[in-house]
Amino acid sequence: MEVTITFTQGVIVIPPLELPTREIGAVVEFYGIVRELENGRQLSGLHYTAYESMAENQLARMFAELQKAEPCIAVHFIHRLGFVPVGEASLYIRVLAVHRGEALRFLAAAIDRMKADVPIWKSDRSEGHSL
Amino acid sequence: MPVKLLAFAHTRDVLGFQERVFDCAPGDTPRALLARVAPTFDCAACRIAIDGEYRDWDAPIGAGRELALIPPVSGG
Repeated sequence: MEVTITFTQGVIVIPPLELPTREIGAVVEFYGIVRELENGRQLSGLHYTAYESMAENQLARMFAELQKAEPCIAVHFIHRLGFVPVGEASLYIRVLAVHRGEALRFLAAAIDRMKADVPIWKSDRSEGHSL
Repeated sequence: MPVKLLAFAHTRDVLGFQERVFDCAPGDTPRALLARVAPTFDCAACRIAIDGEYRDWDAPIGAGRELALIPPVSGG
């Protein structure tokens, strides 16, 4: 499985869609967007930080484990760090698979596990105070 | 043996630093190190990683060179 993991301080730039094989029948994309309200409070945006080296290793291992249950052809993961204004994407994931079932289940499980274990934090302040 | 301790998210405010190097005794555990350098720190409030891998608070640091305090994550 082709895997790319990117952390970026700037706006997420969506890579052009390339199909590494003609077997691909499903391309699933997910955008995580910063909402205006967080726990009922109005925000202008959120600050994201990460323990990048550990996060990359955790994500790579997680994708390899998920691949055993939900075989996919490729996964491209991009997470923005620093300040992300309301309405912009903090997260982008693209999964390519032969069938939509594997792609959708892989994506859902990847997001769930990221939110449980991958050392990335959001905050309504520039330092600390994770939400 | 020097060990770098990394603090993320709100633990930076609690400890007052983002990273700092401490001497680590043979057989030290993360819990013992934190008890020595930050006695009021609540280890139950976050997980600990040694060299980028989640570990038990009572596991020996051993040859580990980098400890990281991992409060509840919130990516996405």
